Amino acid sequence: MENNPYILQMQSITKQFPGVKALDDVTLEVRRGTIHVICGENGAGKSTLMKVLSGVYPYGSYEGKILFMGSEMKFKNIKESESAGIGIIHQELTMIPELSVTENIFVGNEITRKGLVDWDEERRRTVEILKRVGLMIDPDTLIKHLGVGQQQLVEIAKALSKNVKLLILDEPTSALNEDDSANLLNLMRELKANDITCIMISHKLNEVAAIADAVTVIRDGHTVESYEVEAGSVDEDKIIRAMVGRSIENRYPEHVSNPGEVIFEVSDWWVEDPEVEGRMVCKGSSFNVRAGEIVGFAGLMGAGRTELMRSIFGHNYGIFRGGTLKIKGKEVKINSVESAIKHGIAYVPEDRKNLGLNLLDSIRQTIVSADLDRIIKRGLLSFEEEQIAAEKYRESVRIKAPSVDVGVNTLSGGNQQKVVLSKWMYTEPDVLILDEPTRGIDVGAKYEIYKLIHELADQGKAVVLVSSELPELLGMADRIYTIFEGSITGELAKEEASQEALMKRMTITSVS
Amino acid sequence: MKRIKQVLGGDLRQYTMVVALVLLIAVFNIISDGRMLTSSNFQNLLAGNAYVLVLALGMLMVIVIGQIDLSVGSVAGFAGMVMAIAARDLNLPWWVAVLIALAIGLAAGVWHGFFLSKLGIPGFITTLGGMMIFRGGVIWISKSISVPAPAELKWFGSGYLPEWGPAFTGMNNSTLLLGIIGIAAFIIAQVRKHKASKENNPIWAVVVRICIVSAIIGYFTWLYGSGRVGTSFPVPGLILLILIIIYHTITTRTKFGRNVYAVGGNKNAAALSGVNVERTYFLTMMNMSLLAAVAGILFVGRSTAAGPADGTSWEMDAIASVFIGGAAVSGGVGTILATMVGGLVMAVLNNGLMLMGVGADRTQVIKGFVLLAAVAFDVYSKKSGSGSVFSKLFRSEKK
Amino acid sequence: MKKKIITMLMAATMVSACLTACGGREGAAESAPAQAVEESAPAAPAADAADAAEPAAEETADAEASAGEGFEDGATIGVSLPWLGTQNWKEAETMFKEQLEAAGYNPIVQAADQKVPQQQQQIESMIENGAKVIVVGPVDGTQLGAVLEQAKDAGIYVIGYDRLLENTTGVDGVVQFGSVKTGELQAQALLEGLAKVKGEGPYNIELFGGGPADPNAPNFFNGAMSVLQPKIDDGTLVVVSGQTDFTQCATVDWDNSKAQARMDSLLSGFYSDKDIHGVLSPNDGIARAIITSCENAGQQIPVVSGLDAENESVEWVWSGRQYSTVAKPTDALVAETIDIINSLKEGKGMPSTDVTVDNGVKDVAIYELPPVVVTKENAKEVFANDPGRMELLK
Repeated sequence: MENNPYILQMQSITKQFPGVKALDDVTLEVRRGTIHVICGENGAGKSTLMKVLSGVYPYGSYEGKILFMGSEMKFKNIKESESAGIGIIHQELTMIPELSVTENIFVGNEITRKGLVDWDEERRRTVEILKRVGLMIDPDTLIKHLGVGQQQLVEIAKALSKNVKLLILDEPTSALNEDDSANLLNLMRELKANDITCIMISHKLNEVAAIADAVTVIRDGHTVESYEVEAGSVDEDKIIRAMVGRSIENRYPEHVSNPGEVIFEVSDWWVEDPEVEGRMVCKGSSFNVRAGEIVGFAGLMGAGRTELMRSIFGHNYGIFRGGTLKIKGKEVKINSVESAIKHGIAYVPEDRKNLGLNLLDSIRQTIVSADLDRIIKRGLLSFEEEQIAAEKYRESVRIKAPSVDVGVNTLSGGNQQKVVLSKWMYTEPDVLILDEPTRGIDVGAKYEIYKLIHELADQGKAVVLVSSELPELLGMADRIYTIFEGSITGELAKEEASQEALMKRMTITSVS
Repeated sequence: MKRIKQVLGGDLRQYTMVVALVLLIAVFNIISDGRMLTSSNFQNLLAGNAYVLVLALGMLMVIVIGQIDLSVGSVAGFAGMVMAIAARDLNLPWWVAVLIALAIGLAAGVWHGFFLSKLGIPGFITTLGGMMIFRGGVIWISKSISVPAPAELKWFGSGYLPEWGPAFTGMNNSTLLLGIIGIAAFIIAQVRKHKASKENNPIWAVVVRICIVSAIIGYFTWLYGSGRVGTSFPVPGLILLILIIIYHTITTRTKFGRNVYAVGGNKNAAALSGVNVERTYFLTMMNMSLLAAVAGILFVGRSTAAGPADGTSWEMDAIASVFIGGAAVSGGVGTILATMVGGLVMAVLNNGLMLMGVGADRTQVIKGFVLLAAVAFDVYSKKSGSGSVFSKLFRSEKK
Repeated sequence: MKKKIITMLMAATMVSACLTACGGREGAAESAPAQAVEESAPAAPAADAADAAEPAAEETADAEASAGEGFEDGATIGVSLPWLGTQNWKEAETMFKEQLEAAGYNPIVQAADQKVPQQQQQIESMIENGAKVIVVGPVDGTQLGAVLEQAKDAGIYVIGYDRLLENTTGVDGVVQFGSVKTGELQAQALLEGLAKVKGEGPYNIELFGGGPADPNAPNFFNGAMSVLQPKIDDGTLVVVSGQTDFTQCATVDWDNSKAQARMDSLLSGFYSDKDIHGVLSPNDGIARAIITSCENAGQQIPVVSGLDAENESVEWVWSGRQYSTVAKPTDALVAETIDIINSLKEGKGMPSTDVTVDNGVKDVAIYELPPVVVTKENAKEVFANDPGRMELLK
């Protein structure tokens, strides 16, 4: 057993959710003392795989076998995987901001003496562990006073305090600036030298290239490739090809676009993160959209797409730090969502249930909700006008519901999205920003929504389509901008765009 | 079953509390040998609870936006006390004093609204502070001694509508007129609704509905109008009625009303739909304190004096009415009319138990259980999704 | 189902028919006798047609006019007390219930939990229940105006119990212990105690008043001050804090904890280097709060007055911790009230009395009873007829 070169072997893992096979016969083998990188698109199954490994999905809820340090593991929860020596650092940090570094590191694992917490011992050990991750801070500092990078390190320190053998880092640098990222990569190298194996999930191929000893690419729940590499000489294009590998089927309706004048122009747009001071989520973004044109925005999650769009939509997100907006050639100042709507901008948010809908409302209430002025008759809201408007959209957008009085919470995802689209079409906008309009919607409904988008473009509206699904952008958009870490990194016409070309600009490879 | 649905117009669940109210009145009327359904008792019931119901109007909106206002009792007491003192010490005419009280309410509302909407301090804390500030204020300015109020105010708190016109009606003609207006308005609204609606609800259902409601209004017109000479539908009841109409319209038929529900249902989605969340918070809180001042005026009118303890724990009665009326703790759900029914359930319960001679101690216990039962029932019927016990009863009858 | 709707329709028609055809308040009395009875004489189920024919006249009639008539056995008597939070009120509740029942009445005794609206509604429900006499121990004597006038309009006698009913014409008389007299007695007991226990003057004292919403509270205080002020002026008594105004000394809601908090701050603020010799306390609960506060502060127990002769204070007086209390024997007050009710029943009207007090609107007849000072010396005599309290003096 001792000479088994693999610390972890996940064999033929299959995990099913109702209606979806999230993982299908995935195999992952990780050598002791290496840094193993897992790549894949959003939703490819990376996180699911890690949740299976760490016991979030308990033994029995998946098929397959996990061998850790040679013996089979049947984790029922995170606690068990932790005590076996597997630590996981999630993408979203899980520290408690109001507690100190020491308290956070030992939360749930307090060192006690005679039933009371032994603070001196905890502090002593904290200092020791912090030294290992290269942090020189007072162990009594509150987490909320630390920067994101430092919090990340504390998180790792916490894992180390539990004697991990295998550390999983899920997109650890996605929220970090460059210095902090570099710092973290160095730490990983040190951990490797100290015989701690790391699994890293990352989109940032330049980082992958710099640090990986082995790469596994997952796509649509399958292992596509898995091979060892030599840090520094990784073929990034090969990874990209493996990540996007599928062909674009004919899932998009035929459409001949007919772009007119530029009617929407954003230039030099800056937005600061409201949570992290000094971190810019949009860095001087500029783009334009013509009437009747569908312009795609490609970027991975956290790249700043949504932030940019919400900032444009009446400064709904972040702290506005400059930029100009021109609608139909005229510069406009928009400081609230209300005035954005008045100026003919509409924004369909990506998170339908939390941002797009009031789930307590009925269809008729929802459809008119962004432009109530239109149903006011003699100073009061007119239910008849509301009924007429709602019925009109139920028919034209083909919302499947017994009546417009039913609650939107009873509708399927696709129909809910149609209601949201109707709500924004009702405001008669010139510019329609659609943020992930087809997420979580089945194929048939997607097709209908694509047709709607085409109709809107044909009516001469400027459509912005933000999507994580590259095939969708390639199938729908006339022009595609790529975005990475808050900057627009490229602009490709439909003809020159391909998944590889986009992915390259979305991930910033070291060659570019 | 289907026919009853046609008459009542749709979802039966909303009538659960109405049925509970009717049952309560009926049961108490039997137990108390008919002392419940008398002119004077119903006059008292309305005049004695108008102030709580007025508070509940505002509280409904506050709870729908997902906040709570603990200060209403103190604000009511403070406004009433300022009014009484202004009239007594500054010799101001009563109507100026009333305007001052309303202005005080408005100012208190601006104060709460500012902290909630501009500084983002939760309503619970903002108004907890307000509760202490205004309670202390009442005691301070009154030096803890009750202040008699201008005699004219008695009309607001316990006055009756004038007697006029022919005596052959045998009723207070003001009350009769109100009843006739009520019936006429209902008929016109029903006919209009029937014409506009595309669902072909049969005409007989509309007629039956009109008959039932007219009979109910007619009965209460008679009940209120045929009391002792000089009594009628009470003035505080009329004020309440007017406020109910105004606030029912605001919540259902204005942009502001929609915004209130939108903010309470999903604040972020509302913001992304162009709702000014801050302004909605601000106006709702301001309105609440204004209504608190109205409640304070009504109460001082009825008590003939403003006391240092006026308003103590009124907020709890108002909040209870709102929740018995089916509002959701998480916000976004609740209606003015249901809240009024909830408030009346509490009032009838209180009144009935007193008629039976049950002490304040046990009354309190019973009211507590009713609150819990009402809300638990609401949660249960929402969870099971199978409608209320009421509709289940009818379903079994169909078999 | 169909049948149901038909029944509903019929009911509807009947009600509307009633509306148009049999309107008229007199007429209504005939077609719905129950209602008419409620309004005129709910407790008299035997009300005959003659009575019902002119209820309006009877209702609007002045109370004095019907004074001579009296009422029958088993008449309903309403008693509305402010709360049951102190011993004397709880005793009053029990005594009223038992003694009224024993005297052949139908008592409704309720307490309002110190809430004015609650009390207003209680009184209304008593009117509704056809009470002939309503005895009111008000939460706030000024805030019952409208309701009491309503009672008066319904021909009901209103007797104030223990506290004055102000700002209303709807009151026929008030039974109470002379509240100014009580204050005087408290002050005299204080002076006596100081001379006996604390030796030669000058004495350091502090003053406490009762709940400002209770109209008796200023009377107690003023009565006491009429005795104490001369002694303060000649230097025998020194109010160290300088707080001699009623509003400064008042205890909101008669709340013991508020009194204790005030005493705590007085002691820490003014008595760090002085001894306190005496405290004027308006009642027993506050007296005990004051004594506790002094003990906590390490002071010698001062001479403290009291009121109500609550059990615990009787024990304290007996053991010497509290110097005196004033007994306002609840039984005497209840007995006096029931005497008046009996006189009304027999049609003799309100008994005559020389004392009247202006309540702001009218002069109200006052039936005053003398209170009794209780100290360790005379306790056994005072409670000779009170086995419950005698038990405490062992």
